[in-house]
Amino acid sequence: MAPALVLGAYALLVATVGAHVLRRSQWPERAPRLGILAWQALSSSVLASVVLAGLSLALPVWSHDVQLARLLDTCVALLRDQYAAPGGAMAASAGIGIAALVAGRLAYCLGRTAWVVTSGRSAQRSRLALLARRDPERDVLILEHDACAAYCVPGRGGRVVITTATLEALDDAQLAAVLHHERAHLRGRHHLVIQLSSALRAAFPFVPAFAWGEAEVERLTEMMADDAAVQHADGLTLATALVRLAGGAAPAGALGAGGQTALARVRRLATPARPLGKIRRLATLACVAAVALVPIALTVGPALSAMSADYCPITFPV
Amino acid sequence: MDRLWAWDRPALVREVLEDLQRDRKIAYTTVMTVMENLHRKGILSRERHGRAYRYTPERTREEHTAAMMEEVLATSADRSATLMHFVQNIDRSELAALGALLDEIRDPKKTKQGR
Repeated sequence: MAPALVLGAYALLVATVGAHVLRRSQWPERAPRLGILAWQALSSSVLASVVLAGLSLALPVWSHDVQLARLLDTCVALLRDQYAAPGGAMAASAGIGIAALVAGRLAYCLGRTAWVVTSGRSAQRSRLALLARRDPERDVLILEHDACAAYCVPGRGGRVVITTATLEALDDAQLAAVLHHERAHLRGRHHLVIQLSSALRAAFPFVPAFAWGEAEVERLTEMMADDAAVQHADGLTLATALVRLAGGAAPAGALGAGGQTALARVRRLATPARPLGKIRRLATLACVAAVALVPIALTVGPALSAMSADYCPITFPV
Repeated sequence: MDRLWAWDRPALVREVLEDLQRDRKIAYTTVMTVMENLHRKGILSRERHGRAYRYTPERTREEHTAAMMEEVLATSADRSATLMHFVQNIDRSELAALGALLDEIRDPKKTKQGR
């Protein structure tokens, strides 16, 4: 039972303290890609821990544990001993149940999110075909509308869309910067990363870490696209475009959650932070990999320690 | 649809076909199928005209676009990435803060003097 308990405790620790620490860190803004990876590692670590905890409770009653014991060159009794839990079969059933529930729920939400966004995008594309005109020079679709908007439709045949109001609100340089930003989203397939974090939050809404992860990943992908745009355009130009378009859109009232992200982006564009140094980058990557791999280590650890034992508990039949 | 919106009157498939054929080669059946599909989707309405139908757009281009933009802008806060907006809708107070920040960045001396 020890592995299951340790894994459960680890999941709790990472989902609470770990997520809190990551959320408060400043370094992701300096290395957005790495930041996103960190959030993904954190989330997968939490989920893997829960699933593996459940499965480890089932090991003592697993019918193939004899083969596993032979493989590890240890005795079955010792192996079972490492993973045994009070309640035996009941604990095993509960374990398998939890593992199946978590994995199933995740799979369902991933599928559902994919379906919703795919059909939404498909509907968008057919309406755009009907209503928008294409500007071949700028390679963008233009909608005649008096509210500012600029967005891209990711997925198959990605398209960038703007309104005529946007054309009027921005000058050539600002528009070019915005288009670079949107195209960076399409090239980098950022929608996949966002879909993943969104599905996680939908699957387990009671885990704050996943909601934080979703918000952070969204923020960081915008910053990644800003970084890509800044390679072709001036940072201040992009920042100005950001402010102009934020003002031009219909006021959202309660929906407006984008203010904080917009402020952070403008600050970041105006005074770019030094990118993360190579050593620090590698160290962070190592930590991220460690966090992702700990659940596996915690699960197989007891089995491996059973390998190194050179005795076998003997039980006499009563 | 461009033709139908521009003419602003009920039109036969033949009339649309003839106009399209001025730009490119296209078959009667193609135009007919597309217009029938648009009718099925509720974008065009039709009335009998002898043996053929006359089609009219249900909504003007502006109404269509407005309806679509309403939905698009509503998804601005949606995080599932159906669309990816350049900037999300933000409320007035945050907009003011954003404008102030940009002013400060552009002209730090000016802003400090103003205080």
